[in-house]
Amino acid sequence: MNEMAKPPVPDLGLTQRYPDIGTGPVDTAIYHEPAVYAKELEAILRPSWYMIGRVEQILRAGDFFTCELPTFGYELLICRDRQGNVNGFHNVCTHRGNVAEHRREGHSAGLFTCRFHGWSFDLEGNLKRIRDEEGFFGCDKKKMGLRRIATGVWQGFIFVCPAEEPAQSLEEWLGEQGADTADYPWGQCTQSYQWECEIACNWKLVNDSPAEVYHIPVLHPNSAAPTMMASGNPMGRLLDVRIRGNHRTNSHYSVAGEPKPVQKLAYFHAAAAQNVAGAARDYPPGINPTRSPFWTVDLIMFFPTLSFTLSAGMYTAHQVWPLGPNRSLYRQRVFVQPARTAAERFGQENTMVEFRDVVMEDFSTLERIQRALDSGQIREFHYHDHELALRHQHHVVTKTLAAYDREQAAA
Amino acid sequence: MSAVDARLPEGFADLERFVPEWVCPDAVARMAQRQSSTIEALREFYDTMLPRGEAALACLREHQLGELAPPVENLLRLMLMLAEVAPAVEWYGDPRVYDGFPIERIRYLRQISDTDAQPLAGEAA
Repeated sequence: MNEMAKPPVPDLGLTQRYPDIGTGPVDTAIYHEPAVYAKELEAILRPSWYMIGRVEQILRAGDFFTCELPTFGYELLICRDRQGNVNGFHNVCTHRGNVAEHRREGHSAGLFTCRFHGWSFDLEGNLKRIRDEEGFFGCDKKKMGLRRIATGVWQGFIFVCPAEEPAQSLEEWLGEQGADTADYPWGQCTQSYQWECEIACNWKLVNDSPAEVYHIPVLHPNSAAPTMMASGNPMGRLLDVRIRGNHRTNSHYSVAGEPKPVQKLAYFHAAAAQNVAGAARDYPPGINPTRSPFWTVDLIMFFPTLSFTLSAGMYTAHQVWPLGPNRSLYRQRVFVQPARTAAERFGQENTMVEFRDVVMEDFSTLERIQRALDSGQIREFHYHDHELALRHQHHVVTKTLAAYDREQAAA
Repeated sequence: MSAVDARLPEGFADLERFVPEWVCPDAVARMAQRQSSTIEALREFYDTMLPRGEAALACLREHQLGELAPPVENLLRLMLMLAEVAPAVEWYGDPRVYDGFPIERIRYLRQISDTDAQPLAGEAA
């Protein structure tokens, strides 16, 4: 296949497809100003949907897990009821505010009992039992169930929306990009690693980190770059950036490079997931949208804080939890296909370790950039044509905050 | 050494000297082992393990997760350690990620067991 040997390097011209977004330098104020963050919380973050787990974590009626929404300080209890519904509640006992369920995950025979005074709630959140009820002064149990949080399921992922009354349904929020990526075999990757770290930087910087590959030849010279270099792409050009409302997908261009020795063992002797095309021909239209034979990975961003790095046979969910104008919690969950043999288990480990180390390379820049922002030493960002995803994020944030300002002024 | 107390499957006696020091119970322990080792120690482990990698994987291919005898489990964990050590030797020439984010700041929330059987989609765990 001669055409594969010398693939055409992607061209410039991505940004001009979206004239609304502009081409000039952008103001960096949205990356550090406390007043902007306060507005983002109400205008952008609270109305959005957040992925908090997978349905496989609660397969049977009574299965549950608890989790936090760090940005909002919420504790949640997610369970499956006897009708098969996935229910989400604020994990707050309506007596005195302790958590109704203190365990991280498990199975309930039908009641969640608060470990403070023993009040019990059923799988639908109803308050079923008040201990020594006759000592209270007319509690109306019907009105004292666990508070619901809007909950939905997409492709086996459980989402919640922290807004009291979500302005958009989960499907509306996912939009066209959700519809166009729905038929990827998300559920086949049953195994996952997950880790988190706090980073002293604005949440949007964490999003920016994988959202351009202009940096790859320089920041990842020995890890991620060799594959890109093998494809004759020394400037780190993308195949495509597809913008869908507030969301976007970057398609990454590459060809298989010469693997390093341990990669060779993993790829050729242990069925490890490789970031190469081939197996991807029948994917839904939102994945490898240009249908390029030189496709390797898509970065599918669901604005504001969830993105998937997705390739043939594995994907990673990146989730940023904003904690302040210059503080974020990052969670990464790598999903891989199940291993049958001990050799395949080695392939999984190779994938996980390499990806973790590459992300450590990426994250080296974040707190340094934030210091430059906080100290006023960089007031504008100049984006390359193939840094369009960052420009788009800036555009969406600025536009949404301006609309919020208008609404507030009118109210 | 008799077959009863062999610490690795037959044919891998040359790797016995890495047991138990380089056999870690999970990914977090492997990460800590790499970070606390010198690059010389990592290189010695890597240089010994790499040429035995194909043979080790040929052996491990014959064993289903969830049914591993202790010697096979040890061999698997040596190979998992090789995966952890590889970037230090091949990419950085140092236990640490070059100029990287401090890896000790990451916390694992969920790991894949080294040895348990892994259900397919739709199978009970």
